[in-house]
Amino acid sequence: MKNKTSGVKNAFWFSLLLLLSFIFLFPIYLVVMNSFKSKFNIVGTPFRFPDSETFVGLENYINGIKSAGIFEAFLRTLVITVGSVAAIVIFTSMAAWYIVRVKSRFNKAVYYLFLFSMIVPFQMVMFTMTAVCIKLGLNSVLGIIPVYLGFGAGLSVFMFSGFIKSMPREIEEAAMIDGCGPVKAFFAVVFPILKPTAITVAILNAMWIWNDFLLPYLLLGTTDKTLSVAIQITMQGAYGSIDWGGFMAMLVLAIIPIIIFYLICQKYIIKGVIDGAVKG
Amino acid sequence: MASITMKNIKKTYEDNTTVIENLNLEIHDKEFVILVGPSGCGKSTTLRMIAGLEDITEGELYIGDRLVNGVSPKDRDIAMVFQSYALYPHMSVYKNMAFGLKNRRVPKKEIDKKVKAAAEMLDIESYLHRKPRALSGGQRQRVALGRAMVREPAVFLLDEPLSNLDAKLRTEMRSRISLLHKELQTTFVYVTHDQTEAMTMGDRIVVMKDGVIMQQDTPQMLYNHPQNMFVAGFIGTPPINFIDCVIRRKNDGFHAVFDRFDYLLPKRMYGSLSLYTDKEVVMGIRPDDIHAERYFLGKNGENAIELYVEIAEMTGAEYYLYATAADKKIVAKIPAGESVKSGSYMRLAVDTDKIHIFDKVSEKLICD
Repeated sequence: MKNKTSGVKNAFWFSLLLLLSFIFLFPIYLVVMNSFKSKFNIVGTPFRFPDSETFVGLENYINGIKSAGIFEAFLRTLVITVGSVAAIVIFTSMAAWYIVRVKSRFNKAVYYLFLFSMIVPFQMVMFTMTAVCIKLGLNSVLGIIPVYLGFGAGLSVFMFSGFIKSMPREIEEAAMIDGCGPVKAFFAVVFPILKPTAITVAILNAMWIWNDFLLPYLLLGTTDKTLSVAIQITMQGAYGSIDWGGFMAMLVLAIIPIIIFYLICQKYIIKGVIDGAVKG
Repeated sequence: MASITMKNIKKTYEDNTTVIENLNLEIHDKEFVILVGPSGCGKSTTLRMIAGLEDITEGELYIGDRLVNGVSPKDRDIAMVFQSYALYPHMSVYKNMAFGLKNRRVPKKEIDKKVKAAAEMLDIESYLHRKPRALSGGQRQRVALGRAMVREPAVFLLDEPLSNLDAKLRTEMRSRISLLHKELQTTFVYVTHDQTEAMTMGDRIVVMKDGVIMQQDTPQMLYNHPQNMFVAGFIGTPPINFIDCVIRRKNDGFHAVFDRFDYLLPKRMYGSLSLYTDKEVVMGIRPDDIHAERYFLGKNGENAIELYVEIAEMTGAEYYLYATAADKKIVAKIPAGESVKSGSYMRLAVDTDKIHIFDKVSEKLICD
């Protein structure tokens, strides 16, 4: 009797999750499928599977890659993503360590400021922020990195401090007795222990920064295009015509690196999220 | 190798709680000193101040002749073993032990020699390439000891190193640490709340309570001549019996009297007792000094009195008797050879030579 109810329950959850994954995967399926169709057949029949008439092989991909500026945009995005993620992981982990280990009212206030920054929607600050950033000369490929550090800091500090709170302090004290100053203790002992959380923070931020459109569009505009901006701009022809085939193909190419990165790191992401959440 | 001198040490935390008021302690070179006391007595704080992990609010701390108040832990030439082992989880056992030496830029060959020698001494050679998580508690604690050993520090600090181990392992590690002290010939400061550890390991025991040193002496002196009721009650299992009684002066000398008990006290006490005639005091008598009939024979025979034994606990070599006398619980420890039953009457005698008399108000020793 018990087995039967749990079987029904399992079936219910299974179908619900199946439906959910279908909903999530369907847009990706559409993009991948349409990237192999000729551009004229995409808008009219977006849901039709490519057949002998509409299938164009890798033509869209070749056209997309050949189109001006895509490769440079890819490099730019790579520099911005790697730079920002590295900055976020290093600086927010250090900040979180300090906030957790050195108890003071000021640190508590700083911690809540970080948390608060997660709640403020980007759209609320984007225009004033853009104006400030341009005044500060942050509207360049390297200049945008500190801006991403600012936007990524809230969640990252939160996750790191959750994990650090669960770390026994004695390990750091042992390191201090073993001859480490604070900097060495952090990099030789604390940071390696933070690795699962660091990877989680890295992947979450990398996904967002790699795919981000609005911030680079506002700060870098159409001169220093990142990948997402470039795809949008380059595939838009004259008089509002859009090369949907190239568009789809470039989208597929754009998500591949981040998916690979995710797959490599995914065994850590789950561990990291749990460590921070449960013990924090 | 170094002595440690603490002069008028005070420790106040940021929230204004003072855990140590005015601590004066001298630890000699190569001595094995145990800081013992209930939790919250300031023993760990004292150790952490010696290590440099806690600031000293007031007073002076010397290691050797050097004032170390402002010196960082790494420059104090100390090593510490923590209760939680505090091994570096991402490093192998070898790297854990080598870490401190590497930081001090010791040549690789020498590091290797020292780590292997320490590993051999502690029987952990076969685990050198494992990570700490693949080790048992006892093995981890040995690695922690090894990590401290290889540094050859002037002072070894151990903060409840055996508390996380099971009873059998604890006994084994206890003797191992004692041996280690003999071999290394270094100053050891050992913190524990376990009085068995304190009694079995140290050259000298410092008993602390609420940040104050209650007594410091050899284990034997602490046991036989406690200076106050706290120390008397803290040291010894089962704990000492405290019995409220009145001092009476009779023709043959001073007596401690309560209920139907009346004990003639030894002559050496008379000088101190004259001030307490007809006053209430507390008599302390250890369970080992209450004997069953055939063991006291002539000596204390006149003191024998029939007591109701509520529970007789058999521990193997001896019985712990939980008896009642005048609504007071009295614990006695007698050899297992006796035939004792719970819920029966038995004649027991107090060895009056071993009685300790304490002041009821100040709880300090009057005489013993």
